[in-house]
Amino acid sequence: MTPHAHPHAPAHAEHFDAHGHKDHGHVIVSVATLRTVLLLLLFFTLLTVGAAKAEVFISQTFNVEIPQAINVFVALSIAAVKTVIVVMFFMQLKYDNPLNTMIMVFTFLTVGFFMGFTVLDLGNRGTLDPFKQQYIIPGGTGLKHTDNKTITQWAEDAAKSNGTYDPHHAHHRHDARLSITDMGYVPDGPLHGGSSAQRSRPITVSTGLVPGTAPGAPGAATDEAAHGEGPAH
Amino acid sequence: MATIDLGKHGAHPPGPSSDDRPYHERYHAAHHFVDREHEFDAVKMGVWLFLGTEVLLFSGMFVAYAVFRMMHPEAFLSGSSHLEVKWGLLNTFVLLLSSYTVAAAVRHAQTGNQKWLRINLVFTFFAGLAFLLIKFIFEYWKKYNEGLLPGKFYSYPYSADVPFEPLWWAIYWGATGIHASHVIVGMALFAWLYVRSRKQHFGPGHYNAVEGVGLYWHIVDIVWIFLFPMLYLIH
Repeated sequence: MTPHAHPHAPAHAEHFDAHGHKDHGHVIVSVATLRTVLLLLLFFTLLTVGAAKAEVFISQTFNVEIPQAINVFVALSIAAVKTVIVVMFFMQLKYDNPLNTMIMVFTFLTVGFFMGFTVLDLGNRGTLDPFKQQYIIPGGTGLKHTDNKTITQWAEDAAKSNGTYDPHHAHHRHDARLSITDMGYVPDGPLHGGSSAQRSRPITVSTGLVPGTAPGAPGAATDEAAHGEGPAH
Repeated sequence: MATIDLGKHGAHPPGPSSDDRPYHERYHAAHHFVDREHEFDAVKMGVWLFLGTEVLLFSGMFVAYAVFRMMHPEAFLSGSSHLEVKWGLLNTFVLLLSSYTVAAAVRHAQTGNQKWLRINLVFTFFAGLAFLLIKFIFEYWKKYNEGLLPGKFYSYPYSADVPFEPLWWAIYWGATGIHASHVIVGMALFAWLYVRSRKQHFGPGHYNAVEGVGLYWHIVDIVWIFLFPMLYLIH
């Protein structure tokens, strides 16, 4: 709003709008509007509870399982409507400087980004597993071989049975999971300080923080040392 | 009320002893503002920016809720069944009503109706108090006695088959606790407003504080509008 540079005799004619009367640029929301908004809010609250109960009723009567996403979506959309009418009428954002509206819109947009990407991540955690299990086999998909050999092993065996295998070309390779210690680095202490964040593989030992689980109880093996064999086993 | 004449005292301090007018008529804007209108707009924008930060604060809790609910839906289902919808619903009605009374209080400040301004401020204060009493007596106290506490304080013995339920209770206590502390702060603000309103500080030309605290209270209400279905209506 542009500041006035002159002293205030009312510079504009008083005019009445549908919501009450203007008072020097301040809109006074009428009592009727306020009461209507309140009744709408109470109604939507009851609607939310009713929708939740209806969902339970439907899932029990028709023996269907309604996915959680529907439960959340319905509840959130009703809550969003309630929020919009509170913000617009009780907080009078409708009659206010549009910049304030922008502030709120962008705040909620930020929350949307925050929530949206998190949910997107979590919701798809398991999505790739069926594909990964099929295709990530060391050496390839194994379409060429039978008897569960890796392609590389198959190639070696094939060359040996052909008589084309030249032992001079054979490289002495380490196990596939090379670490810098394999290459000769000798650290003075644990490389990762015990934190799994700095390792390429997570610690899968119970930390004891979840009640009922003891610290050190294995979720899976703790270390490469315990997993002596290769991943194909 | 047709016009409010901010008049010749709009931007300049009045003489100290010659002016018997109430505070809200004598009030002059701080000197870096052109007039009271300008100050009012600046105050409002400042409050909206603060409300933006409040929304982001609660969004942290809501995202934590989303993360844990997606990772352990059975814990949320089981934990939510300990909550009684009727108390959540009653608290929702109390807060919605208080939102109405605070909007009405702003309206009465705008029209100069001192008596009803005070009545609505008092009502809003007691609505906040009612909210807290319902929460503490019928919900928190009961949960505390049953051992339904967050994280490592959890000691309820009948949910052994739901190993992640303490996470749900961490979310419940965290979200409702932070919300309740906002209600307590709001109540203190309304008490302050009431004291000032008795001294005739608020009127049609000057009601910045009533507007600002009202906006804050509406955000507190909006947060509860989201918390109620998210906590109580998980099925």
